[in-house]
Amino acid sequence: MTEVDRRIPAKSGGKSIVGFGKQVLRAESSSVLIATILLVLVIGVLRPAFLTVGQLKDVLNNSVYVALLAAGMAFLLAMREIDLSVGAMFGLSLITSALLMRDGFDPWLACGAGIVLGAILGLANALVVRHIAIPAFVATLATMQLYRGLAVALGDGQQVTGLPLEHSFFSVLGGDLLGLPVSVWILIVVTVGLTVLLRWTPFGYRVRSIGSNPDAAAFSGISIARTRLYVLVLVGAVAGLAGVLGLAFFTSGDPNIGIGFELQAIAAAVIGGTPLRGGVATVVGAVFGAILLGVVSSGLVYFNIPANWSGFATGLVVLLAVGVDSALRSRQRARESMLGL
Amino acid sequence: MHALTAQGITKAYGGVTALAGADLTLRPGSVHALLGENGAGKSTLIKVITGAVTPDAGTLRLAGAEVAFASTAQAATNGVAVVSQELNLFPDLDVLANLYPMREPTRGPLLDRGTMAERAVPVLKQLGLDIDPRVKLGSLSLAQRQLVEIAKALIVQPRVLILDEPTSALDKDSSARLLDILRVLRDREVAVVFVSHILEEVMNLCDEITVLREGRTVLDAQPRADLTIGDIVHAMLGQDLPTPVRTTGKPNAAKLELREVSVPDRLTKVDLTCAGGEIVGLAGLAGSGHTTALEVIAGIRRPSHGAVTLPGGGTPRDFRSAIAAGVALVSGDRRRVGLMLDKPVWENIAQVRPVALAGAGLLRTGALRESARELAARVRVQPPNVDARAGLLSGGNQQKVVLAKWLAADPSVLLLDDPTRGVDLGARAEIHALLRSVADAGKVVVLCSTDLDELVSACDRVVVFHKGTVCAELTGDRIDQHTILHTMNTGAV
Repeated sequence: MTEVDRRIPAKSGGKSIVGFGKQVLRAESSSVLIATILLVLVIGVLRPAFLTVGQLKDVLNNSVYVALLAAGMAFLLAMREIDLSVGAMFGLSLITSALLMRDGFDPWLACGAGIVLGAILGLANALVVRHIAIPAFVATLATMQLYRGLAVALGDGQQVTGLPLEHSFFSVLGGDLLGLPVSVWILIVVTVGLTVLLRWTPFGYRVRSIGSNPDAAAFSGISIARTRLYVLVLVGAVAGLAGVLGLAFFTSGDPNIGIGFELQAIAAAVIGGTPLRGGVATVVGAVFGAILLGVVSSGLVYFNIPANWSGFATGLVVLLAVGVDSALRSRQRARESMLGL
Repeated sequence: MHALTAQGITKAYGGVTALAGADLTLRPGSVHALLGENGAGKSTLIKVITGAVTPDAGTLRLAGAEVAFASTAQAATNGVAVVSQELNLFPDLDVLANLYPMREPTRGPLLDRGTMAERAVPVLKQLGLDIDPRVKLGSLSLAQRQLVEIAKALIVQPRVLILDEPTSALDKDSSARLLDILRVLRDREVAVVFVSHILEEVMNLCDEITVLREGRTVLDAQPRADLTIGDIVHAMLGQDLPTPVRTTGKPNAAKLELREVSVPDRLTKVDLTCAGGEIVGLAGLAGSGHTTALEVIAGIRRPSHGAVTLPGGGTPRDFRSAIAAGVALVSGDRRRVGLMLDKPVWENIAQVRPVALAGAGLLRTGALRESARELAARVRVQPPNVDARAGLLSGGNQQKVVLAKWLAADPSVLLLDDPTRGVDLGARAEIHALLRSVADAGKVVVLCSTDLDELVSACDRVVVFHKGTVCAELTGDRIDQHTILHTMNTGAV
């Protein structure tokens, strides 16, 4: 480490931790954080009832699941891949741990099993991609149906109830800590962990290298197949984690839970500033993208929009968010290329 | 009457001046070489002539009449066609569709494929491209694709035809054929502009020569007969190039050895020994096996027979294990397999050692950038800013970044495949000096090149391949372009 330290230029040594934090925020979350805060304030000004601690906590709590899936999705998008089965992996992990709990297994054990199952499902995705030699998009289009079908079959098409709700699993993971839901704390930890993984480890650099130019990555000695396997397993494990958190919060297992989460997760990552062309990604942005979607859907409730129009309104807001972001980016690109040439 | 004149063309991008009053005068029926280092303003001048860029000042006259093209399409309808360095083709469409982008003959709402083929076949035949125009473009070789690109330009029967480095990807046969085609065009009174880095080719083919340096015309439409290659190099650089100095390998240095290596249909029992300290050139016609030998050393191809021993004593099992054992492979195809164009220079330089070869652990951005800065300074990347995006650098500087990323891995064997393709003379000399310094440090350097002058000026020893076997080893004074060319074509010295 000493050798590395000597190579750091003197001026960065003088920078405060605040400056470093600013730099990370600027690189990571770009405009989505500002957009989220603005949207909350606008809704709050128009409908003050929205700006209560309870309501905001609710929004956060409801966004945790899509946010976790979006954080994993950012890794996949960074290497030009998409996993459509994240919603189904979320559902299957949730149902499986619910069934294990109902059948008398220790809830903490069942919780661990749910996360491991997610990782195994991700591994299955990776093996299908590798051995049938198809893009992850196509492979997971199929496994999405498989996993969802399995969840419905295992749950007999019904809610899994009769869980030991008095157990510490439900009171801890479904409870609060220091004023925030525990699931939100877990989301924060995962977000920080995945950000470090993506930005400061060789593995993260490999992921982004592959998305930037797969041929150049392979020609530099990076194994695309192995990196993709790790990412798909990681995404599965994160989906499993989201599943058990969902179980702790909902306290029952609905086999149809999480349908459409995969598309919300992709939308959240893109809104957060992760482009589909690969090469760059931001986990923090993806998480805020999911929170933005959560704010939109709960905010709309306050505006007396007929229930049948809420989907339409959500789509409109998403389009607006992406449009503004894209306009900002192309202005920045134009400025860069002026200087670059 | 001149076919086209450009006078006092000035163009600046942001604060950077690309052209500072450049002139170009083209006569119909002459082949005109436009020369200059990368960054001298050739590309910008061509963009101005073809309407891709609007000049800040200066006039453009086509057959005496002043013109100002608003777009390349407008220039094309006025008879100014261009064959660019980067192939603008669609690999999933057939050859015929590729020949008529946006100007397909139609019958009602449908394509008139009959007419398309009728017009295309004579042009393809003239170029010696003996293929069915209904095959997919993607199934053609690189050289054939380049001929398709040329055919695309010829189909509109241009008055001014600009060929931007048309021979860099062609093998000798096709190059010779292109030279024939250009003679035909000359007879048809087309004004041809020929941009090339291969000065011998220019001397063979062109009637007049214009040289740009730093955005100005320093040699204006001089008859080729009045000039020597030395004059042209002097005009391009403002100075002369040094004569090559050859050394032999260090006798006690570690060796790279190939013993009776065979690859079906490619190599038959090839023996090759490269000692640390020397730069070994591999020459041959396309398909003669010299690039296959490089792939075998890099572990990309497994030999069916024989053995490869790396300086460390190991055998490359696959590409990744070869890299881990100290092999580096620098490809001339930097845009496709060399670089991440959307990433800053420092990330590209970090791609091999800190990223691909590392285990777990955190990478510190500051440390990566600092070591990238050192390497970039060592290979003299211009501008010396490691935060610049790789895609914004000139070709020569991009290639230096590729070299830097491999030098970061401190390889014991440095393999290069056409490393200075499309690189200007100054950067090329700098890259050759770097190879020399790597060799001087006791490393094995093996260089494949289609550029004979590169083999002559950079290598200590040239191994010539013919039909999958080594047919000659040239050393000392026997390394000259004539001998190499003769040997790789005939298989005998």
